[in-house]
Amino acid sequence: MRVKILRQQYPGAEPYWQTFLYDGDADASVAAVLDTLNYKDDVVDADGNHAPRIGWECSCLQGLCGGCAMVINGHPALACETFVRDLGEEIVLRPLSKFPVISDLVVDRGVIQENLKASGDYIGEYTPPSPKEHAHQYAAAKCLKCGLCLEVCPNYGKGEHFYGAVFANDCYLVASTSKEQGESFRKEYAGHFAAGCSKSLSCMEVCPMQIPTIASMAKLNRRG
Amino acid sequence: MKKVIIIGSGIAGMSAALHCAENGIQTVLVSPFPSERAQSVMASGGINAALNHQNDGDTVESHIEDTLRGGRFIAGEEAVRGLCEAAPDIVRYLQKIGTVFSLNEKGEIDQRAFGGQSHQRTCFSGASTGKQIVSTLVMECRRYEAAGLIERKLWSDFHSALIRDGRCYGVLLYNEAKRTLEPFTADAVIMATGGQNALFGKTTGSTQCDGYAAGRLFLQGAELKNLEFIQYHPTTLRTPGKRMLISEAARGEGGRLYYLENGKRVYFLEDKYGEKGNLMPRDVVAREIYNAGKEVFLDVTFLGKKTIDSRIPELRDLCRKYRGIDIYRESIPVEPSVHFFMGGLAVDNHHETNIRNLYAVGECASIYHGANRLGGNSLLAALYSGQVAAADIARRFSGTQDEGSDFVPDFEDYVRTQSEKLFRSMETESLFPVMYIRDMVAESLWEKLGIVRDEEDLTEGIEEVSYYLSIADKIRYDGSVLPYFNYSLEGILTLAKATLVCAKERRESRGAHFRKDYAKEEDAYRAATVISYDEGEFRVRLDREGRYES
Ligand SMILES: Cc1cc2nc3c(=O)[nH]c(=O)nc-3n(C[C@H](O)[C@H](O)[C@H](O)COP(=O)(O)OP(=O)(O)OC[C@H]3O[C@@H](n4cnc5c(N)ncnc54)[C@H](O)[C@@H]3O)c2cc1C
Ligand code: SF4
Ligand code: FES
Repeated sequence: MRVKILRQQYPGAEPYWQTFLYDGDADASVAAVLDTLNYKDDVVDADGNHAPRIGWECSCLQGLCGGCAMVINGHPALACETFVRDLGEEIVLRPLSKFPVISDLVVDRGVIQENLKASGDYIGEYTPPSPKEHAHQYAAAKCLKCGLCLEVCPNYGKGEHFYGAVFANDCYLVASTSKEQGESFRKEYAGHFAAGCSKSLSCMEVCPMQIPTIASMAKLNRRG
Repeated sequence: MKKVIIIGSGIAGMSAALHCAENGIQTVLVSPFPSERAQSVMASGGINAALNHQNDGDTVESHIEDTLRGGRFIAGEEAVRGLCEAAPDIVRYLQKIGTVFSLNEKGEIDQRAFGGQSHQRTCFSGASTGKQIVSTLVMECRRYEAAGLIERKLWSDFHSALIRDGRCYGVLLYNEAKRTLEPFTADAVIMATGGQNALFGKTTGSTQCDGYAAGRLFLQGAELKNLEFIQYHPTTLRTPGKRMLISEAARGEGGRLYYLENGKRVYFLEDKYGEKGNLMPRDVVAREIYNAGKEVFLDVTFLGKKTIDSRIPELRDLCRKYRGIDIYRESIPVEPSVHFFMGGLAVDNHHETNIRNLYAVGECASIYHGANRLGGNSLLAALYSGQVAAADIARRFSGTQDEGSDFVPDFEDYVRTQSEKLFRSMETESLFPVMYIRDMVAESLWEKLGIVRDEEDLTEGIEEVSYYLSIADKIRYDGSVLPYFNYSLEGILTLAKATLVCAKERRESRGAHFRKDYAKEEDAYRAATVISYDEGEFRVRLDREGRYES
């Protein structure tokens, strides 16, 4: 099978497509495919040319860290949770398009943390939350900061004004455990999320942790 | 203001950062990727604290006793006491900063049994305890980031420490964005780089934990300890990409291990150790599986859908996703795999290494776990060690007691030579596969440092790794991977060799270290192994005096 990858040597370099051949296990994940392509003593593309090793980010290889988020056959997804058996004859890999490329499939998602920091997303004085919130807090705290929800969102650009689902879920976590932060924070939420969200909810479809972002939104709106 | 640099932003690094910042110390938190990518997020099972919420008579004393016994009596008693006494407050602190623990019917933090424990002591957050803790620590760190006390430095890799005459003055970092080596000075440096998974290639853990920092610091004079004690987790699932952990929680909930003989199930652990056989310490279970010499299965089907869905849903999903196994109906084929490293940088009870002002915390430090770590004790150790190191630094560098000195020796020459060396290697066009060598070493180590070892295998292993090490400096590097992967090779190989040497020197069997040529535990070896580097020589001794943890 053919694996076509959009490559870029370094930040700002010209991107180019390169195709590789893979004839391994169909139960392998895309992450395992990249691993197999890289772990040869010589990496060659489908035309037999030497190729530099493919840059991609990973850590856990089991859907727990968000490192390997990329666009796979047009869909934003985690490479370690997407399997060859579900992908047809050709695999096409691109880096997430909403973040600057570092190299190949590695992108800089620092804007996610920067926006959370700038908007004061942290608990001040802790207020024990209502037991009713327990399940949703657990769900929201599982957010990987992978950025898939931002990639798919029609309203998210580069994170200048609208901060996306990842932001809404962290806002909820703060608002539900902190009275003091809760108030000022809702303004941040209104400005950087509520005002820009058109409720396409594509964020929930791609979220690997299946976080019901809509529940975060409903809870924040109710409080406001 | 005093300044601390912390390398690694998993749970241990963040815990240290928070406690430094609380003490008004300027803190720089360095890691290539954000905390969400650290191995800490993978911890599933839980964290130990004798809260006695199950009313089964648990006490701090039993926690201490279990930890020392699990570690086969070579951990320091005072150090372990500190850890276990602090545990209840640590868990309460986590809850107060927002960690969502699973609760019992009374609304208290729920607890369950883990291997080697006399009581139900492990607190948990569903099956994502590590992730839930990381999420809250990230948020808490953000509070100090906003206040300017914690600064995060991403896309940065540790290169080496700035050491002169047994004292550490800072670090040299590789900046991936600028592609340069940059020196940073500080009053103290805390290493929090996690375990050394890369020695074995595919383990249950993160690809980011490579052991390089420990290997490099060893070459710079830091002593390492207990490297031979490598925990094989008894139950992992083989997949095309990696070994997936099947958490001990599955057995904590009642899951049973068996193999088939003439078509009949043999519950070999229960047969040998009685009712609690499935929850014997990890080293014992791993060895029994090895000895069984047959494919072993874990059965949770009888727990029923309701218990599986509420107590081990992540396990259900993992088996389905990666292997198409339906755990409501089918048993899970399991095998042991490398999971945790009891060994690492040797530290004293305050988490300082033998290099003044160089500290180590979390899994990269060797302390508390002795010859075998109990499940749930390493998240605890990661949090506690960060606190202890920060407290020691705050005490030493504050007010009248200030031990700091503004004198910083000149490291210009050192920085220049290291940069030149790095750039020379980066300029080569060779496709020499540094990752391939790492793979070869991993293969050697799987074979020679398995669950059961002997002199012959270990000697061969040392020869193999020594060969790679002898060429590491001469090979023309692989220009197509990050420079980090190139310069880290020598440190990783050095750590691999040191580990084999320690395993060879310990001529007994204890905890996770089992020698078929010395199958008994011997009193003469009831002490930690310490290894140091002296002009090319690897020197091993037993720490009988308790120079380190006591
Ligand atoms: C699958 C799994 C499940 C587990 N479950 C449990 C459990 O239930 N309970 C329990 O107590 N323990 C558990 N453990 C063990 C526990 O997760 C770890 O021991 C603990 O999280 C280690 O934390 P740490 O902060 O020391 O290291 P890590 O979380 O590994 O963090 C290391 C940090 O160092 C950085 N780093 C590494 N090298 C460099 C370098 N050269 N330069 C710069 N930065 C570097 C990394 O990027 C990372 O930020 C589990 C482990 C695994 C693998
Ligand atoms: S909300 Fe979901 S998709 Fe978005 S960053 Fe978090 S885990 Fe990823
Ligand atoms: S590598 Fe962690 S989510 Fe894929």
